[in-house]
Amino acid sequence: MTEKTTYRLPIGPIHPALKEPVQFEFEIDGERIVDVDVSLGHVHRSIEWAGTRRNPIQNLYLAERICGICSYCHPVAFSLAVENALDIQVPDRGEYLRVIQGELERMCSHMLWAGVAAHEVGFDTVLYLTWQMREKLLDLTEYLTGNRVTKAITMIGGVRRDITKDMVPKIQETLDYFKENFEKIRHTYLDDKTFKMRCQGVGVLTYDDAIKLCAVGPTTRASGVKKDVRVDQPYFAYSDLDIDYITPDILTGEIHGDVYDRIIQRLLEVKQAIDLMEQCLDKMPSGDIVAEPKPAKLLAMLKKAEGEGIGRHEAPRGEVIHYVKLVSGEENAYTWKVRAPTYNNILPWIPMLKGEQIADIPIVAASTDPCMSCTNRVAVVDRDNKYILNKEELHQMSVEKTRRLLK
Amino acid sequence: MAEKKQLDAKGLVKYFKDEFKTKIKKTTVKKRVVGLEKKESYFVWITIDKSIFKDVIKHLVEYQFPHLAVVSGNDLGKTIELIYHFSLDHGQKFKEISLNIKVEIPKSNPKIETICDYIPGALITEREKQEMLGVIVEGIPDSRRLFLPEDFPKGVYPWRKDGKGMEKVIKNLHEVKK
Amino acid sequence: MSFSMIRPVLVQLFKKPFTNKFPVKYTPKSTTKLLEAVGEGKAQIIPPVETPPGFRGKIQYDKEKCTGCRLCIRVCPSNAIEFKPKEKKIKIYLARCTFCSQCNDVCPVKCLSMSNEFLLADTDKYSKDMIVE
Repeated sequence: MTEKTTYRLPIGPIHPALKEPVQFEFEIDGERIVDVDVSLGHVHRSIEWAGTRRNPIQNLYLAERICGICSYCHPVAFSLAVENALDIQVPDRGEYLRVIQGELERMCSHMLWAGVAAHEVGFDTVLYLTWQMREKLLDLTEYLTGNRVTKAITMIGGVRRDITKDMVPKIQETLDYFKENFEKIRHTYLDDKTFKMRCQGVGVLTYDDAIKLCAVGPTTRASGVKKDVRVDQPYFAYSDLDIDYITPDILTGEIHGDVYDRIIQRLLEVKQAIDLMEQCLDKMPSGDIVAEPKPAKLLAMLKKAEGEGIGRHEAPRGEVIHYVKLVSGEENAYTWKVRAPTYNNILPWIPMLKGEQIADIPIVAASTDPCMSCTNRVAVVDRDNKYILNKEELHQMSVEKTRRLLK
Repeated sequence: MAEKKQLDAKGLVKYFKDEFKTKIKKTTVKKRVVGLEKKESYFVWITIDKSIFKDVIKHLVEYQFPHLAVVSGNDLGKTIELIYHFSLDHGQKFKEISLNIKVEIPKSNPKIETICDYIPGALITEREKQEMLGVIVEGIPDSRRLFLPEDFPKGVYPWRKDGKGMEKVIKNLHEVKK
Repeated sequence: MSFSMIRPVLVQLFKKPFTNKFPVKYTPKSTTKLLEAVGEGKAQIIPPVETPPGFRGKIQYDKEKCTGCRLCIRVCPSNAIEFKPKEKKIKIYLARCTFCSQCNDVCPVKCLSMSNEFLLADTDKYSKDMIVE
């Protein structure tokens, strides 16, 4: 008599169902998943180590390139940490401008996630619809900051660009477009039978698990935990605005903690972001936008200063925390620690995936909105001569191929 | 603790000092004021001795289950300093307190106890400290490498600044190519 | 209603697509022949979407105003600026530039600015188009 054992299925770093490289190893029994093992480290880039070789103004742009979607929250958390360490007071107009940019990025990220979630379920038409709506937001970002993705709008002590009176009509026009079309999106995601069949009851994360595993962001709020850095601890101008915790029972009245609840959670957050941006535009005070406008003076101040500080921000995926330690006599930071939100949201994958079917893996993994680029940051460049030669060979080969194509 | 109470920043410092007296080396409470309505947020920094580390965590978990954000590390020459960043009192508007606990461990014996039995979510950040700083976490359920590949040389700890760091391993590509 | 996307899909059949078909509507059989035809005036390229004012494109350098203070070199995140000590002027390598415009903010005489050119691809990192001096 042979024994019945489980089968090991690796879903490796590169796979069509995953948007970013992460390695899963599942123990499956038939179609059901029994155990999960996750390993990371495929996008390691040595950013924390490189940050200690640069002064804080250069670090802002390095932090921006940790991730494309979270390209505003990392520089802003870094500058909050430096301001905390040195007790720099940001002017009020700068705080309100930071809120507007942060909420705009939240809307862009949630619209991208909505498209990706629809694609994982198999509903490609909705992917095109949501990404078409997202183009309006990217146009607005380009108008306000100069580029669609790498915004470069943060400076230690404030922001770099102002929103003048003639820019406000364009912002209002984009927000009105979203308010009109929100009902279309809500109807597609929440009333459609396809989504209900695929997403209800799947990938459940209970309230106790969410607290014990220290989950953050929409993942934990969809399970009923009221954790949101914007409302918990006052920073920027959030303490002046009318803001409250968002959990799925605002719309439906009950909390299940499954994938369907996470869709509701993110759509409600988009609505909240529109409301917060309008409140900011109404209440904006006048004044300076940055505490120290001359970067040369700022660098001199950083060289003399000493201290350590933490900066926390509510990114679209959860809580981002940066820790910076500065010593006097050196411009560069002594230590810089980055913790992206997906870091804390990896352990919840294990209780969510146990007991599910294989076909549900893409949508459950995508429902926590993982951003692997944010998670992996320290790496090594090369080890021995052989590796360097291969990279040069690759470069040579790609140049030659381009020349062949041009002929 | 009989009933669930909620302390403010200074009360929290007193709660730890009453229990552990002299083993707490230094405490700082920082305040920041933001916005037009001038709301305050508090940051508490406590430096403790290595011998009472596990008791401090137990004391904290009994007061309220904290949210562990991350563990960061500093290389200070002869010692390694680990900082545990917690936050307490989520769920009420504008009342959260950030609590940061610092522990120093000597490089000759870089061992520290795990807190995974009290806070299961600390597994990933403890694994990262093991590979990046060379800290040995006793009792950790899973001690494999997290971010670095398996064939990364042993004994090289990227965050250290004393010669065991990254000096020999990296080469600057732009210098090699010229 | 269970199938909510049928109506938008049918409406889209009669509307213009959202994509701007830059540079041409269909992929050409040979890219070099197309570029030659455009140069001679025989073919048209559909222009890209307009960039807004304040767009951060290729950097422009006004050599007369530069004083050689080297503040821009201190703040460049990717070490893309090199100092020429004999003339006391700078040289910018576009292959390393990240288009952050921090050098524009720091310059005390305002000799650097960003234009709206973004079609900068090239095969050689050190060709004439990729160095600004």
